[in-house]
Amino acid sequence: MSTITLRRLVTLSFALCYVLIGLPLWYKLTTIYRAPLPAEYIESLHTKIHEDIHLTIPVYVQSNLYQFPDVHDAIQAQADELLKSVNEEQRRVQWSLQVLPYVEGKIDAKDDYVVTLVLDESMGLTIPQFGKETIVFFNDESVLDNDLPFFAAQALIEHTFKFEWENFSNAPQKSAKTDSTFKNMAVSYDPNIHISISLLTGDSSPVAWDIDTALKEYLTPIRELLSTFVNFTVDTGIEYHNDLNLNSLVNKSSISWNDLSHTLDLSELSSVNHYQEQNSINLAIVFPSAETSSLEFANATEDNTNWKSFLVPQWGVVVINKDPLPVNAYVTHDYLASVISTFANDIFKLLGLSQSEDDLTSPLIKIDSFKRKIIIDNLEKSITTLSSLVNMTNHLQQMSIPKEVLEDVNNALKIRLQIVDLLNNPELGGDETWNEALRLSNKLVKVCERAFFHKEMVQQTFFPQEHKVAVYLPLLGPITVVTFTAFFKSLKEVLTKSKKCATKDDGKDDTTKNEELKAE
Amino acid sequence: MGDVADSATHTNNWAVLVSTSRFWFNYRHMANVLSMYRTVKRLGIPDSQIILMLSDDVACNPRNLFPGSVFNNADRALDLYGESVEVDYRGYEVTVENFIRLLTDRWDEDHPKSKRLMTDENSNVFIYLTGHGGEDFLKFQDAEEIASHDIADAFAQMYAKKRYNELFFMIDTCQANTMFSKFYSPNVIAVGSSELDESSYSHHSDVEIGVAVVDRFTYYTLGFMEEIDKNSTLTLQDLFDSYTFEKVHSHVGVRTDLYSRNLSEVLITDFFGNVRNLVPDDDSVTNNHENDKELKSESTLLKIAKLKHNEALIQNTTTNPQVTKSKRINTDDAIYQGAVETYNVTLVKALGIFILVAFLFLLKTMSCSKTDTLKTTDISLYDEHVAIY
Repeated sequence: MSTITLRRLVTLSFALCYVLIGLPLWYKLTTIYRAPLPAEYIESLHTKIHEDIHLTIPVYVQSNLYQFPDVHDAIQAQADELLKSVNEEQRRVQWSLQVLPYVEGKIDAKDDYVVTLVLDESMGLTIPQFGKETIVFFNDESVLDNDLPFFAAQALIEHTFKFEWENFSNAPQKSAKTDSTFKNMAVSYDPNIHISISLLTGDSSPVAWDIDTALKEYLTPIRELLSTFVNFTVDTGIEYHNDLNLNSLVNKSSISWNDLSHTLDLSELSSVNHYQEQNSINLAIVFPSAETSSLEFANATEDNTNWKSFLVPQWGVVVINKDPLPVNAYVTHDYLASVISTFANDIFKLLGLSQSEDDLTSPLIKIDSFKRKIIIDNLEKSITTLSSLVNMTNHLQQMSIPKEVLEDVNNALKIRLQIVDLLNNPELGGDETWNEALRLSNKLVKVCERAFFHKEMVQQTFFPQEHKVAVYLPLLGPITVVTFTAFFKSLKEVLTKSKKCATKDDGKDDTTKNEELKAE
Repeated sequence: MGDVADSATHTNNWAVLVSTSRFWFNYRHMANVLSMYRTVKRLGIPDSQIILMLSDDVACNPRNLFPGSVFNNADRALDLYGESVEVDYRGYEVTVENFIRLLTDRWDEDHPKSKRLMTDENSNVFIYLTGHGGEDFLKFQDAEEIASHDIADAFAQMYAKKRYNELFFMIDTCQANTMFSKFYSPNVIAVGSSELDESSYSHHSDVEIGVAVVDRFTYYTLGFMEEIDKNSTLTLQDLFDSYTFEKVHSHVGVRTDLYSRNLSEVLITDFFGNVRNLVPDDDSVTNNHENDKELKSESTLLKIAKLKHNEALIQNTTTNPQVTKSKRINTDDAIYQGAVETYNVTLVKALGIFILVAFLFLLKTMSCSKTDTLKTTDISLYDEHVAIY
């Protein structure tokens, strides 16, 4: 083989390597990986949110005197009618009651919703504070007129399940006024919330307090009562030389809330970074310094107590004391008991559990209802997160979508279906079901957040498309120039040579023709 | 305060303060940011809600004639570095990537809480940037730059995840107004120090420090802010009206088309302060003070909680001393699994005995070999001795 041919072969192989191996490899290795998210499914879930959910809450009917064999069916029909009466577009989630007859021994009035029908002189209802029972009073007339089922259904939906009625069916709220002030009161829900309790004094003289027993007596029960949906961690501490700037309010007997809001400096207290939980509820018990002396405004009411507590939206409670602490003070159990029990009450407000004061429902029913609300909120939140994820990745085409994100998204959708199954199954519906659904929904939120906030989905971690060529040009430029100039050169040579050959052949043909002609 | 206060809907405030340039001659950028830090802190934003990104440490620079101090005025009345300053990102940590990560909250799982912007849909966020920039870019550390559309996209991601209620973007750099030209997310209000093809200028130099100590735009912003107190009723409109070409020497730009509220209704403290509104707690204890001491404080809620608590206690003592509360809901899987993990006791015992025996054996052989070698050497010595002899 001549050197020329060898050279040409080498050039050709270089060019072929470049085009057939190099280019695809380069393209493959520099392409941003974008996992295919189930965008359409997520979008359809987002546009018709909660469409596949239908909560069913079992309720058991018992009657203490008369035997009504079919009263539960009648109440069921009435309850369904009442729930249907709400405008469908307003409704947030579909929910219904499942009214069943009471079976002795099988049903526990403490854990299940029980309606007790009691014969009385007039119609009425009451909901005992301890338990989940609804007592409906009826008289003989109402039985004759067949009013009892409607009345029982109304009692259940508008009173026992008022929370669902207002939140899920979006029924017109009667307590619209209190709502606005309490709307921003609650800290956002999280399964883990930290409670930070601190005693603040403006002086430096040592203070001791009997916080341990007070907390055990007043906070632990509350903590346990709420433990099915929120896990509290608690820390306590005493801070000296910090009276939240109260000293600037000396000698003011009457001040407005605005003045107080602007004076109190809570910034030093927000030790959010010292614990792991995302959210916290704070309690600050403040004593002014001896120099400040009595704060006249602190007992504005004619009450005997020397302190006043204030709710700070989404932050906690500030308890302001009128008088400074004496030297070497010991804060007694009695004092702390009243403060902590007020605080325990405020925790319900700060969690968003109680909104208005004149509530008829029992706290236990309220907690259950609140759990259901959290489940629905969590579902909504996670679908919104997934939908934002899809929109964001669609909008930013240069952003990579790692495999973990896809796994999390798929996992989240699976968990969601599990929850929906739990909620929709009319045969379930006990405490355990709600707790399980709540646990799953918390997990769901976590998984969705993890998918959205994946570390690799930051545009700065890779080159955008237009930068790619610029970055690789110093390397690829010279190689391209050398390879292809050589390739085109030899191609040209080959072409010209073959042309020459062709013309030569043509000449040859002509001469032979001439010779033949001559021979003739 | 009337209507002005009512229009605000946020419940917490955050501030992100960034100086992006390095080196001693950029002293003024550090001073700008530290002055802003002091202002927002004075107006009540706690340190945990301020993210301070300081690209260089001028306070400890060997050229600093006043070590450990940073001043923003030639009169040196106020040491910006004197009181407690919590710098969250320092020196080479101030990068474009970290800034974008901060805004979009995309970090490792173990990234400390204090270095994260943990805002929610109720947060008003104030973002202040200063450094050297040009048309649609801002330099970081003299090495890389952030483009205006990078910030715009980061804001869009924040909006998608409801990470802010309202956002106030302030930037002091050359051609600053180009930096917010690409924004497209709602509820963002932006102000910049200079328009396209226009420089931002420093205000004055300190002869002893030897470099300019503050920028004009920031200087007049701070001047305005000094008049503000927590209960001030001045609005953003007042702030923007205070900027004039005579003062700033460049055309200050304000972008409001993404913002729905009227600027003359937006308090300065909506972004620069952190005012907590108090609600007097009227119910519960104070209402039923006529009862005796024990009953006085007990609400129905507490009674129920106590009853339940006692029930649980009784149940626990009779059946099972372990605390079983909340296991279903709030268990941390990792901890739970860790607790279950146990050792195979028999295996451990057998291994222990084996090691013991092996050790004893080793000891024995070692002592044996020791005496053996001694013996042999002795003999050999003797032999040698004999041979020589």
